[in-house]
Amino acid sequence: MDSYQCTICGHIYDPAKGEPSMNIQSGIDFSKLPGDWHCPICMASPDKFVKV
Amino acid sequence: MVVQEIAPGIFSVGALDHDRRLFDSLIPLPQGTSYNAYLVRGKTKTALIDTVDPAKELELVTNLVKAKVDTVDYIIINHAEQDHSGTLPMIAEIFPGAKIVVNDKCLDQVKHLLDIEEERCMVIKDRDTIDLGGKTLEFILTPWVHWPETMVTFAREDRVLFSCDFFGSHYSESTLRVVEWGEIYRASKRYYAEIMMPFRSSVRENLEKVGTLDIRMIAPSHGPIHTEPRLIMDAYRDWTSDTVKNEVVIPYVSMHGSTEKMVNHLTDALRERGIRVLPFNLVVTDIGDLAMALVDAATIVVGTPTVIFGPHPQAVYAAYLANLLRPKTRFITVIGSYGWGGKTVETLKGMLPRMQAELLEPVYIKGAPGAQDMRSIEVLADRIAAKHREIGILGKG
Repeated sequence: MDSYQCTICGHIYDPAKGEPSMNIQSGIDFSKLPGDWHCPICMASPDKFVKV
Repeated sequence: MVVQEIAPGIFSVGALDHDRRLFDSLIPLPQGTSYNAYLVRGKTKTALIDTVDPAKELELVTNLVKAKVDTVDYIIINHAEQDHSGTLPMIAEIFPGAKIVVNDKCLDQVKHLLDIEEERCMVIKDRDTIDLGGKTLEFILTPWVHWPETMVTFAREDRVLFSCDFFGSHYSESTLRVVEWGEIYRASKRYYAEIMMPFRSSVRENLEKVGTLDIRMIAPSHGPIHTEPRLIMDAYRDWTSDTVKNEVVIPYVSMHGSTEKMVNHLTDALRERGIRVLPFNLVVTDIGDLAMALVDAATIVVGTPTVIFGPHPQAVYAAYLANLLRPKTRFITVIGSYGWGGKTVETLKGMLPRMQAELLEPVYIKGAPGAQDMRSIEVLADRIAAKHREIGILGKG
């Protein structure tokens, strides 16, 4: 599973870590995140993320 | 306190703030600023587009009284930042029947920033419209120009774009018109550098989006109204493009003169190689001028001595700002001198994670620069010139 980086603020979503601050467990692929998911740092939508 | 009709049935009701000198407790305002709000009167409905900074609330209310406004049906909030939305609670109280028009992200912000009740709000989506009777207002979401909720409002029949911070400038101009384009170009570039540059790719996308509209006039929320929209839109195309210019910006600070000697030698060496140099002594620099220089430059060279074990705090401040503003700079390096040791270069490098520039070999020396050190400076100038040639911005010479 790939990590994705926010092009607005630089935050990285790493599936191995999940997103503890948003109650997203580890092991969830970026494409499988909930529909209303957004960057926890800057609120950017998933389309602002690029694979790293 | 003046109400000006900028187009048939469209009035400026905002406020000038000619002697404000600092914004966000950070950004110098050499020309003051303005908080522009606009009243749009259709045959059946009236809309207020944005409000003003709370410091000028009396002025907005007075203008609405002068304009003989007895009803406002819609209060449109293009952007939730308080210099535009701060008077919303008062206006919402004065006009209890008015719907507050926001997008979903803006709704969240006006609730948290201004304690606005959700029941008062009408949540719109991208390209939704409202009809005022012969005047149609279309809402176009422009996220990250420069907050998540930013949007613009287009008066279709009059072809006026209410762009909020997009295309704005901190400039207090009593006529509300662009009198001298050169001056407004500079003020707009400064504003872009300070506010928009961190979101360059979003700004570029949204520039394309609003570029499809047939715009006759751009009425921003700061600074004068653009009656030749092409000028400011072309300027934005240039600033947001990936193209860099044959320029080296040198923010520097010196304590006993060693770093300054190196900066001066590098400046001369770069000039001899046909490169434009913009040195900024950080002790006397207006950070808006520095930010503006970062919009185009291909290369940044930070000049700093070592204070105790690391970079001079003035250089730290400049590096921190540059990292936040994230200019399109392609090359970066450090020059300077230390007395006995320290970790200046490593510390500065670690402060720039958002910059995508290639690091050129620093020239960081012990003590005062001697002949050999000056030759190293010339080698750095050669390397910068070679890099500028590589990317096609400097001729073969």
